[in-house]
Amino acid sequence: MKCEEFEAIGLGLGREGSVPLNGVDATERAAAIEHANACPRCAALQESWQEAQTELQALRVTTQDASTPLRVEMRLRQEFRIRHRTAKARAAAVVAAWALAAAAVVVGAVSLRNWQGAQHRTTQSASGLTKNASGANAAVQAGKTTNVIDSKSTNENALVADNSAGEFTPLPGSLETDDAAIVRVRVQRGALGALGLPVNQERAGEWIQVDLLVGVDGQPQAVRLPQ
Amino acid sequence: MRISEQATDDVLLRRAAKGDEDAFVVLYRRHQAALYRFGLRMTGNAWAAEEIVQDVFMTLMREPKKYDAARGALGAYLFGIARNRVMKHLERLPREVPLNGQNEDGSRGGAGVVNAFTPAHWAEQQERMERVRAAVLDLPAEFREAVVLCELEERSYEEAAQLAGCPIGTIRSRLHRGRALLLAKLEMLRDVPRRIGAAR
Repeated sequence: MKCEEFEAIGLGLGREGSVPLNGVDATERAAAIEHANACPRCAALQESWQEAQTELQALRVTTQDASTPLRVEMRLRQEFRIRHRTAKARAAAVVAAWALAAAAVVVGAVSLRNWQGAQHRTTQSASGLTKNASGANAAVQAGKTTNVIDSKSTNENALVADNSAGEFTPLPGSLETDDAAIVRVRVQRGALGALGLPVNQERAGEWIQVDLLVGVDGQPQAVRLPQ
Repeated sequence: MRISEQATDDVLLRRAAKGDEDAFVVLYRRHQAALYRFGLRMTGNAWAAEEIVQDVFMTLMREPKKYDAARGALGAYLFGIARNRVMKHLERLPREVPLNGQNEDGSRGGAGVVNAFTPAHWAEQQERMERVRAAVLDLPAEFREAVVLCELEERSYEEAAQLAGCPIGTIRSRLHRGRALLLAKLEMLRDVPRRIGAAR
């Protein structure tokens, strides 16, 4: 073995028990020892390295129980908690946002459907009216006799309406006088009941205008519902 | 859920990634000491070693999916991150003054070897320790890494090569050069007090 070879593999042979031999076989080891015995320079080098190894060993011992201070673990735990709490909160927020968005879409879809339905119904009723109108025109053109009869009955209905709306209806128990004044008042329909007139109780709270024919004694004689 | 101490790193990491703090703590406690020792021996600075360990686990916390179990053990992965941090630290501070690490209670890092010897013996031991520490920290980073892994951590060439991410031959040659440089530096450091003594 040459000195260079000894330097490459021989230095690590000093502490057989603790240092791994790292592939140096027994033959090489024997050759290295033989070379160290024969070469004073390499023997001195090996001795020097053994001394250095003792010092390295001492240095190793001083740091072999070294461990990270507890504060590092505390810091890491804190960071871990913050990181994962934030992640959880973010996930919950994302889920809530998606749920809200889905709800908004559903509400929007239902509203749109309702609106479209309403639009459809309006269109249908409008077309129905047009049909009725055209049907009426057809009826007018169908026969004059029917038309005459219809118009007669319409006139009669209008007269009845005029009578009930435009003329005074005498109040029960009132006396006819020549001198009277017409007073227009706004009353609830229910108040007509007090004058002895029949009143629809469902519409008793409705405000209406009535003309009262008031006699000289100040008592109402008759009542009229203006148009 | 209770964490078993025997649970594998992969299982623990999966659980930690899902937010299991206990799993993360078990992982941390399992690996922190080796990483810290490596950082301390490479930088000679307890604060730097602490920062390095913290950085390693912050990286693991931030990006647990970066670890690929098919490419090796989690310990080796963490060691790789620590090694990168150490190298960055050494690049930033190429000639940092070696300091004795201080323990939690404020005592010196070398206090572990204090024993029943006399104060003179203890002082001599401390001086020797300082010499070795200074010599190791004065080595170039790649030689220092080989010396720390093979001499201080007593890892095999294969392990050291795997951790350093280089072929075994490279580790072997680095260690050879590192040893030679270390010997020279130790000789030099031993001679300084002798020369000072002789001058007096």
